[in-house]
Amino acid sequence: MSDATGPNQENGEGLVAHLIDHFKKEWQLYVMLLPTIAWLVVFLYKPMYGLQIAFKDYSIFRGISGSPWVGFEHFETLFQSEQFIRALKNTVIISFYTLIFGFPVPIFLALMFNEVLNRWFKKTSQTIVYLPHFISSVIIAGIVMTAFSPSAGIINTFLGWFGVEPIYFLTKPEWFRPIFIGTGIWQEAGFQSIVYLAAIAGVSPTLYESAVVDGASRWQMMWKITLPSILPTIIIMLIIRIGNILEVSFEMIILLYQPATYETADVVNTFIYRQGIQGGQYDLAAAAGLFNAVVAFVLVISANTISKRFSRTSLW
Amino acid sequence: MPGVRLDGIVKKYGAVQVVHGIDLVVEEGEFVVLVGPSGCGKSTTLRMIAGLEDISGGSLTIDERVMNSVAPKDRDVAMVFQNYALYPHLNVADNIAFGLRIRKESKDKIASAVEEVAGILGLTPYLERRPADLSGGQRQRVAMGRAIVRRPKVFLFDEPLSNLDAKLRTQMRAEIKRLHNRLGATSIYVTHDQVEAMTLADRIVVMHDGRIEQIGSPMDLFLNPANTFVAGFLGSPPMNMFTATVVAGPNGPVAEFHGQSLELPNLDALEIGSEITLGVRPEFVQLNDDPNAPGVKVDVDLVETLGSEALIHATLNGSPFVIRTETISRAPSNAAQQSFTIAPELLRIFDVETGVALPGQEVAVPENAA
Repeated sequence: MSDATGPNQENGEGLVAHLIDHFKKEWQLYVMLLPTIAWLVVFLYKPMYGLQIAFKDYSIFRGISGSPWVGFEHFETLFQSEQFIRALKNTVIISFYTLIFGFPVPIFLALMFNEVLNRWFKKTSQTIVYLPHFISSVIIAGIVMTAFSPSAGIINTFLGWFGVEPIYFLTKPEWFRPIFIGTGIWQEAGFQSIVYLAAIAGVSPTLYESAVVDGASRWQMMWKITLPSILPTIIIMLIIRIGNILEVSFEMIILLYQPATYETADVVNTFIYRQGIQGGQYDLAAAAGLFNAVVAFVLVISANTISKRFSRTSLW
Repeated sequence: MPGVRLDGIVKKYGAVQVVHGIDLVVEEGEFVVLVGPSGCGKSTTLRMIAGLEDISGGSLTIDERVMNSVAPKDRDVAMVFQNYALYPHLNVADNIAFGLRIRKESKDKIASAVEEVAGILGLTPYLERRPADLSGGQRQRVAMGRAIVRRPKVFLFDEPLSNLDAKLRTQMRAEIKRLHNRLGATSIYVTHDQVEAMTLADRIVVMHDGRIEQIGSPMDLFLNPANTFVAGFLGSPPMNMFTATVVAGPNGPVAEFHGQSLELPNLDALEIGSEITLGVRPEFVQLNDDPNAPGVKVDVDLVETLGSEALIHATLNGSPFVIRTETISRAPSNAAQQSFTIAPELLRIFDVETGVALPGQEVAVPENAA
């Protein structure tokens, strides 16, 4: 016969009593927490209920609970679909290049801003590089289309000075990825550098003073003090970035791609959009979305574990 | 030979002048402590010597070379900071080696220098640890290791023990003194802690409001403070000071205050009828066994027993008056009133208006205490 007042139960009661006691003392903090919890429940946890349609033959008329289960049928369809495999391949390639080329840029920008001594120049250049972040993706896409236009675009005009024939950049699959990745870097690198600038601001000034007395140059201080000091922030940002690796900027792709560039431009999210929203295959789109989420989950866990083991820095 | 020489050093931030023309000569191998309350300009002076602050006026000479415009790295100084300034991403060995690596010394030289310094400071078992895995005292030793590994001409210490607890501070104080005795390098040490100043210094420089108030050996400053500021700053508890009037007594001048009196030393500068500020060190007071015996009477407020000694907090005509007394041979009485005497030559007499000590009352510093 089990003891109803065993240690576990006592511990449990102790914890509840402790929580109640804590709530009474700090109720204001819990009240402040409520909106965030409500947001998480409504927008992140409740929609998870709908994930089950990835395993059902979903019909709007029968509803989620009324639709019959089909197991992994949609996943089989996805992996037999050339379009999905192409979208997955493009997602991985674009994400990989964005990570390789786009991730270091904000770090370099922050390091450079930190070295600028003239306050006016520093503020002006920071404003200029932050600005694209605040411009709507539609306008950014418009700017890109104009810039790469074969008739009046600045790029083709420039190339024309050297006798190069106009290139139809946005209709050529081989140019889509560089233009898309470059646009993303131009739009977000400045704003992303704020995180690193904040981390740099947290480095103790005495570390630099001590290095100055030791004879370090500004260059040496940047490499030997600033960069290692913000490394934990860099790693945290990298883990977050890896978690979002399959989340390629959906709006920008939709705005810039066209059937001629699907070969290199179509990604999982645009595939989901076309199949799910335009084609009405919500169950197939949900399966693709779930696959995306599971891969992201595995990636973020792996990145966090690796980081914890090798650099002592981790997200949790 | 002077190791460091400051001639009329001035520091201004815009229109605000924080250091007002400091003159100081630190001899080679000397340990000089700059002491004073917060905001007195001691750290600013040290940072000007290090090259971390520009010098607004005057001249700084290190090893007979004017250093005003010389970069910090070329001054051959090393600095130990209050918050240690250790690189959190480097282990102890790499922290110590940092300065040598920056100067592109050979790997062998760096390895042997780190090993030697770690041995001196007892850091050998911790060379692979990062600063976060060390205690406060160990971190401070690493900071000192970083300084001594380069064998600079001058060591600068900016309140290096302020972040340590009292027990560790006492230990580290002794270690710094031992290290200085061993290395014999010119050292300039900034602190607001007078105990650190008294125990470490060959000479103390007392600063106040960006000016030097007095320079001298610890005992000289303790026995012969030049003014009321130094008298009140050095000594724990500080010197008791109160106003008195000089009157003629049967054996010479006498200080009279609120119906009580104390015999004064015979000084030429004393004028009968003038007002003086009288300074009485708490430890120079001789308590009478009988509270009603002739002497100055104080009303006891509180007795703090510290172990081998006790502090009697009393009031003398309404003003606070502290007496330090030993407890082993004579337990402090709990009587509501105590009476004391003091040898006239142990009194310190200051001008009541300027606060400057009257001339002719210097007490000889015992030779072994200088």
